Amino acid sequence: MGIFKKLGWFFKQEKKAYISGVIALFIVSIIALLPPRIIGIIVDQIASQTITMQSLIMWVSLLGATAVAQYLLRYIWRINIFGTASKLERIIRTQLYQHFTEMDKHFFQRYRTGDLMAHATNDLRAIRMVAAGGILTLADSVSTGSATIIAMFLVVDWRLALLALIPLPLLALCSRILGTKIHKSFREAQAAFSHLNDKTQESVSGMKVIKTFGQETEDIQEFKEKTAQVVKENKKVYIVDSLFDPVITIITGMSYVLTMILGGSFVINEVISIGEFVTFFTYISMLTWPMLAVGRLFNILERGSASYDRIRELLNNKSSIQENTSAVTTPISGNVDVTIQKFTYPSSDKAVLSDVHFHLVKGQTLGIVGKTGSGKTSLFELMLREYDHYEGTILYGGTDIRDYSLDALLKRIGYVPQDNFLFSDTIAGNIRFADPNLSMAEVERAAKLTAIHQDILEMPQQYETEVGERGVSLSGGQKQRISIARALITNPELLILDDALSAVDAKTEEKILSALKDERSDQTTIIAAHRISSVMHAQEILVLEDGRVIERGTHEQLLANNGWYKEMYEQQQLEQQIEGGAVK
Amino acid sequence: MKNTQSAWSREIPLREQLTTMKRIFSFAKPFLGQFAASIVFAGLLAVTNALLPRIVQTLIDGYFTQGTATVQVVLLFGSLYAGATLLKAVIWYFNLYHYNMASEKTVAVIRNAVYTKLHKLGMNYFDRTPAGSIVSKVTNDTETIKEFWTVFLTVIEGLLGLSISFIAMYTLNAEVTLWIMTFLPILIVVIWLYQKKSSFLYRSMREKLGILNAKLAESITGMSIIQQFRQEKRFQEDFEETNMSYFRSRYQMTKINTLLLSPIIDLLYTSALVFILSFFGFDALNGFVEVGVIYAFTSYVRNFFQPMTRMMDSLSIFQDGIVSSSRVLEVLDNEEYAPEQNEQSDAKITSAKIEFKDVSFSYDGKHKVLKNISFTAYPGQTVALVGHTGSGKSSIINLIMRFYEFYEGDILIDGVSIKDYPLSELRSNMGLVLQDSFLFYGTIKDNIRLKNKAITDAEIRKAAEFVQADKFIEALPHKYNAKVIERGASYSSGQKQLISFASTIVTDPKILILDEATANIDTETEVLIQEGLEKMRKGRTTLAIAHRLSTIRDADLILVLDHGEIVEQGTHDELLDQKGVYYGMYELQKSGLTE
Repeated sequence: MGIFKKLGWFFKQEKKAYISGVIALFIVSIIALLPPRIIGIIVDQIASQTITMQSLIMWVSLLGATAVAQYLLRYIWRINIFGTASKLERIIRTQLYQHFTEMDKHFFQRYRTGDLMAHATNDLRAIRMVAAGGILTLADSVSTGSATIIAMFLVVDWRLALLALIPLPLLALCSRILGTKIHKSFREAQAAFSHLNDKTQESVSGMKVIKTFGQETEDIQEFKEKTAQVVKENKKVYIVDSLFDPVITIITGMSYVLTMILGGSFVINEVISIGEFVTFFTYISMLTWPMLAVGRLFNILERGSASYDRIRELLNNKSSIQENTSAVTTPISGNVDVTIQKFTYPSSDKAVLSDVHFHLVKGQTLGIVGKTGSGKTSLFELMLREYDHYEGTILYGGTDIRDYSLDALLKRIGYVPQDNFLFSDTIAGNIRFADPNLSMAEVERAAKLTAIHQDILEMPQQYETEVGERGVSLSGGQKQRISIARALITNPELLILDDALSAVDAKTEEKILSALKDERSDQTTIIAAHRISSVMHAQEILVLEDGRVIERGTHEQLLANNGWYKEMYEQQQLEQQIEGGAVK
Repeated sequence: MKNTQSAWSREIPLREQLTTMKRIFSFAKPFLGQFAASIVFAGLLAVTNALLPRIVQTLIDGYFTQGTATVQVVLLFGSLYAGATLLKAVIWYFNLYHYNMASEKTVAVIRNAVYTKLHKLGMNYFDRTPAGSIVSKVTNDTETIKEFWTVFLTVIEGLLGLSISFIAMYTLNAEVTLWIMTFLPILIVVIWLYQKKSSFLYRSMREKLGILNAKLAESITGMSIIQQFRQEKRFQEDFEETNMSYFRSRYQMTKINTLLLSPIIDLLYTSALVFILSFFGFDALNGFVEVGVIYAFTSYVRNFFQPMTRMMDSLSIFQDGIVSSSRVLEVLDNEEYAPEQNEQSDAKITSAKIEFKDVSFSYDGKHKVLKNISFTAYPGQTVALVGHTGSGKSSIINLIMRFYEFYEGDILIDGVSIKDYPLSELRSNMGLVLQDSFLFYGTIKDNIRLKNKAITDAEIRKAAEFVQADKFIEALPHKYNAKVIERGASYSSGQKQLISFASTIVTDPKILILDEATANIDTETEVLIQEGLEKMRKGRTTLAIAHRLSTIRDADLILVLDHGEIVEQGTHDELLDQKGVYYGMYELQKSGLTE
């Protein structure tokens, strides 16, 4: 029942809908008592041959009226209760989405996409069930149950009612016991299914390996074992689950039998009439559902409550990145000063950056090279203010990064990440991602700068071509160039390329770099790369290893240094010749 | 997500629905007996359902109204009712249990069939289809088919209940029963109307939910981009719009369900009661009527109308089922088979001489990625393939591994066409080391042995020692039994490479195909890998894609590929003498080293 309290805010907000829904439901259950009684009365009048035309017409019209009234009232409660429950789902979904957009990197590392999706689908469904089925069952069992029981006592005979009711609590009890049992075996069946899913996932991803080793038969065998396991676990579910309806039949059957015996004797002794006997029989059938529902109600509420707690837990996460109340709103400009003594990710204790500092004059280019894991991306994460907790300062134009408003900071930084993620949108939409109001001329300008314009013209719908999951598949190099165009289009004060040229060939790389040089002579650029050719023209180059600057200087200085940089440079020269050599 | 959307955005024609159903039904064949048993039980259930009101009716009309009832009679009828109820419960249990089990087993058969079929498909299917969508077809769609089966039970039970109630009523009073049948056309109209309205709404609701979830998933994946570009507001607004549109669809669906589903069936049921009471009432005005019959009729009419709600309710499950079934059938109908081998042949690979004869190949039938490739790798030799991305190196591997079928030219092993070897002969003699090593869930040992149970622990250890993977494995907490989770996430790419070397070498293949990794590997492991490669190549005919010159230098034959053609070939020395592309590369290499 706690879940109703937790959702109190919603019920309060929608109290009009719920009150009218529940009232309609109550009236329906009272009206529902009439037809069995009307049948009983007519039966009695026929049996005693006291029936008249007037009374027949009256009772039959009343019966017809109850039918119409029930239809209308059912419409009211269904729309009010079920419709409003969908609203709850919608509201929480919006809350979740909004929350996700406010969360920091740490949050998305802690919860994987699959988990978050599961919360946003399964948990939302469970909560909707509480607001729809939960409320319905509760109100309905209370109203129908109590109305019918009262009618049994008052309209027919209290002794008969008492006796007939004896088996009914068993219903709630049995459905609760069976429910718990089913739930347990169901969880195991779910686990078996989940293993089947994992197995399939793995084999499909590793299909090449399976084929290489010629192990198709063995793999199919393993799969068949898994499906057999699913059948075996589900068998346990069915053994119990199939008991549900029969057990209910037996319990209500007990009520019927008791009624027949005691009610029968009452009829013989003329304590009750035949019509009352018939009415009573129908009332018992009307009690079955509310009793059953009580058992089911617990499951719905328990599941809903657990789901709601999980969603609340998500929503209770706070982003570590908070805007300063008196934040500077003038966009960043000027020199960049980075002085980081030490940075450690929240969930680890190994420093990923130590003593990294540089001074970048407006209009200059900084190059950063280093192996994967050397700390390049971590450095950018700090410069984009994805983490706030580090020892040191990052200053833009002399002001600390944490003193800017997020708009002032991020809108002036163009960032091209390693994994060049594009959205399911047109190419033009992806390029003008930062501002959908930008003109096509500007989109094309950015595309030309990144040497992707020609490629786009060759696509089926050119700039209107859909990309992403449902659209055309682009090569890694094309994606990278579109991501660069996306970052470049707003002419940002600071452009950061995080290994963003790795998939384009040397010639295109050179084209893009020289375009950037011409176009961005007044603005600052940082280029991180594996390939030395990407950074060799920078005013300063940092070589990172394990989060430390191990070498720094211009290209010439670094070559003269005879260190890691030089070694890398020579190795890459060589590789490039091999790759490029065949092209002629 | 992609598939949910496309499948729900179109209406499936009736004829297609029928063929889909028929084909899915055919999987139930092995369990026909169990299905039949369950349906027999369903019939018996309907009969007991018809009997129960009859007991009460007889008690009323035979004894109560006659005034002949005694305590003994009441007790007798009571125990009769109790017995019938018990019987009904038992019948019902068997009905449900057998039906559930039969459908569960049918689904298992479907799953096994789809999975077996997957293994018959060629690599082009897997290269083109996202893994997630394949997995979802094997597991989720088949799961939906299980629910789909319950629709048929509901329909069968509904129809049985309908006809047996009809018979029961007819034997009691034929005239009233025939009059009640006039409700049937009304029912049919209601069902038709509901079907028409709801199937469209349901489809659009499902489609919108698909879009909604796709947007959510995409936003979560691309959240850092959204945040970096400060587009949170725009995405929130866009999401809210989709969310709202889904809500409106859902609300419409609730409305239709309210107007045309159970409330209207209840309305019809009560109307039927009005009719029955009026009829018997008028009769009673003119003469004698058995009141027990009235009770029986009210019960039968309920049995008559009740299944309708459930049948109509199943409509959405039915739609889900058809969509899922057609997705499953899509896989079963797929004809992108893996290249066929002559399984009857008893050809054996002995010395492992590989010969490419004028091989041309195209993935799409339009653009040739290999043009007239001819070369020979003599037993024990290493042939290196050099060229930039897209030059055709990987395609050569795809062909010799029989991942893709080729139609022009031939590839011979020991003078016999590669197509004339049974697949098992090829697989057991060829080892492929992939660029990105793939590890399976399990232990290190499992990943070296893979699924070949004949390989002993000692052989595993030997193979690991051979490729020098033993050092890092021995340093692990559980050594060879160390866990490998989620594609080897906890191992470095170099370590994964060494494990996959070991799994290749443990099968002792005569032919080795190497797709050298370009990924960055830490220097210490890099040395081990190079040494491992060198050792593995000894005594084996090797085809190697090379990114590093060190592997090329001692090759017996080097092929320089460009746009699917061999532009130069020879040994290292011969190529130098040619003073062509390779010579240039070598010169650059020398100057590079001495700069």
